[in-house]
Amino acid sequence: MIGSEKRSNKISAIIRACRLIMRMNQSRPEARKSELLYYKMLDGYYSRLLNARENGKPIAAHTVFFPSEILYAMDIIPMHTETTTWMMSLFLSNQAEILSAGAELGLASEICSAHRGLAGAFSLGALPRPDVMLWSNLICDNTAKSGELITEINDCPGFYLDHPFQHSRAEERYLIGELESLIRFLEEKTGRKMDWDRLSEIVARMDQQIELCREISELRKAVPSPVNIRGYLQLLTVDYLCPGQPEAIEYLEALRQELAGIVHEGKGAVSPERFRLMSLFVPPIYLIPFLDSLEQEYGAVTVAEPLFTRWAAGRLDPAKPLESVAMKFSLIPERCSMYGPLDERTLKDVAQCAREYKVDGAVYWAFIGCRHTCAAMRMFKDALNEIDVPMLTVDCDIVDPTVNSKEEIRGKLVQFFELLEDR
Amino acid sequence: MLKRFRVVNEAFPETPEILEHKREGNKVFGWLCTYIPEEVMHAAGILPIRITGYSKETELEDGNAYLYINNCSFSRSCFQMGIRGEYSFLDGVVGGSTCDGARRLFDLWRYYIKTPFHHVLTVPRKQTQKAHELYYDQVRQFKQHLEEFLGVQITDESLRHSIEIYNESRALLGRLYELRKRPEPPITGAETMEVLNASFRMPKELFNQWLRELLDELAETRNTHKGRARLMVVGSVMNNPEFIQSIEEQGGLVVTDELCTSTRYWSDPVVLDEGMTLLEAISKRYLNGFPCARMVPSEERFNRILGLARDFKVDGAISEIIRYCVPYAHDLPLLKDRLKAAGIPTLALDVEYGTSGSGQIQTRVQAFLEMLEAKGK
Repeated sequence: MIGSEKRSNKISAIIRACRLIMRMNQSRPEARKSELLYYKMLDGYYSRLLNARENGKPIAAHTVFFPSEILYAMDIIPMHTETTTWMMSLFLSNQAEILSAGAELGLASEICSAHRGLAGAFSLGALPRPDVMLWSNLICDNTAKSGELITEINDCPGFYLDHPFQHSRAEERYLIGELESLIRFLEEKTGRKMDWDRLSEIVARMDQQIELCREISELRKAVPSPVNIRGYLQLLTVDYLCPGQPEAIEYLEALRQELAGIVHEGKGAVSPERFRLMSLFVPPIYLIPFLDSLEQEYGAVTVAEPLFTRWAAGRLDPAKPLESVAMKFSLIPERCSMYGPLDERTLKDVAQCAREYKVDGAVYWAFIGCRHTCAAMRMFKDALNEIDVPMLTVDCDIVDPTVNSKEEIRGKLVQFFELLEDR
Repeated sequence: MLKRFRVVNEAFPETPEILEHKREGNKVFGWLCTYIPEEVMHAAGILPIRITGYSKETELEDGNAYLYINNCSFSRSCFQMGIRGEYSFLDGVVGGSTCDGARRLFDLWRYYIKTPFHHVLTVPRKQTQKAHELYYDQVRQFKQHLEEFLGVQITDESLRHSIEIYNESRALLGRLYELRKRPEPPITGAETMEVLNASFRMPKELFNQWLRELLDELAETRNTHKGRARLMVVGSVMNNPEFIQSIEEQGGLVVTDELCTSTRYWSDPVVLDEGMTLLEAISKRYLNGFPCARMVPSEERFNRILGLARDFKVDGAISEIIRYCVPYAHDLPLLKDRLKAAGIPTLALDVEYGTSGSGQIQTRVQAFLEMLEAKGK
């Protein structure tokens, strides 16, 4: 049984952490407006989740890259499972508790820690019990296989969304069919009806959101570059949690305006800027404050993440909302680069990105639980070597601090900075 | 008779049969997963063989250097053999979007090993009508790609012939497994694995002939096997007879399995229904057959495992999961619950591909057998 008191604790604790950061930011005159808006967005997201029952709204837990635009259009409260695990590790440092609970369920240590921790958190009753569990094969075997255990733990119905691997017409039709089945499932299980006008509005805002992300990416080409590693992760979170939502637009517009001003003034995220880094994959979330300070100390700034923030070309059409939700998948950077055959096109794009952003070196965060990204490491390294960009591999885990110590990670990065200095 | 199969496996990859096929000017293609339709390649005159890794635990320096340490040792082992030229005779390699390990193995194979022909199929994870339509479209594209590459037309006649050959092989393997249902089977689990390994490493026509002869021999033999417990092996890709042998040397008799190198490979014939094209029938068999752990929902896989356990009167299940084989690792807690509910205890082993059953594994198997014996009393 899931204990209701315990259930609200983790979400309440995330909300408390966000509010504390907001208060701290409000008391700092130099704090950016976008920072405040970011934590306000998180506060809003998790408050809606915490109060869903009271407000009579169903909760849908879902894995990464699940089209939560559909949930918002149906007035269903989304709970992004991996991001919530991240938030717990970042704000609450309770990894040991949830990971050991995952191990007690019988999940092997090779399984992605975000998913092990998630199952553990559900089994502890640390997260709200969802009314439905939604998951897909985007972007790996872990996402494809994590849903069934969670439906059993929570005794709730589940829907698996099957993404095609390539881009033929038949595959496009298949994906649309899957989305239609998803909507039918949600209507049946939650009693909510799809509001197509609302979905169109969300799609229109999503299109704007992607444009804003592209503009922000352009601003990051400036020397010095205006966004640090924390900013990169915040950009990811916006799309993961609030796709096509007004608060996402508000945050991104504020951020773009601030960054344009910073670039105009010739300032950067670190001063002086000595090394421009490309980040491949996601750094340990729980080390973000530490990595922030390391960037400052060594003048090393993350300027580009081709696998995560480089949206592909294309626009969404609010007049065709469902097709646009499907089309968004072909624009998502991770979908383009890490799902589907990995070929010369992706490798050339990474090399092109390194040139455009005047990258000195690349850091590959080799998340031990993420097999498909690590298997691509050699190909990226060789592609970057061809344009004389060295790549550092850092073994790590997104949420589990026992894989590699802070000191080891620091040692590797500092050595890499020295190598870049010598070049 | 069994020795002939063993000789093929010992010589693999460069077996006399494969080299003979090449000498005759024919093509040999390697496939990476059981979701790749062999009949389509066979109908084009190709000898399809399964790409497997080293049959013993080996240092995987090259595998680690390219696929990194956190991809399954099956992928790393296969890749290492490829990059070291042990599959240099291949004219083509065919993969699918089946699991992360397999798809990345294909990506790196294409990029670094550069076998002349390469093709990857989108393989849905569902068994719905729409999933079947998509997979059929993929098989159709694959056929077209083969025809363009080879400059031949794959006719209905040749497809029908290939279906017959492959279905015969499945039926013969089904007969072999029927013998294992006996209280005292005439063939061990390790011996069966030798036969199965050869089945995807040599021309099917010749394999069928050898297997018919083996079945005749087994029908007359008085040499039977009895164990302390009847076991089923479930889990990741595994084709090492020594692993099974190490279990059987301790008195466990492996009578069935759900491995993709064994039961899942030969189960489910291509059924030629009226109103269905040959290619539709092939694609239906491959997508809708005995599911791998990659498929969602897992219930169909679990039900078929429980069915095997009943049919083969299994006392216990040994789950062997290669480290970083995530689909099977996710299924394990759910499968164990279902087996337990059916009164079948499970021994869960974390292994590496190619393992022959180390001391620690033997100790655990021994303890498991003792537990099963105590339970049976």
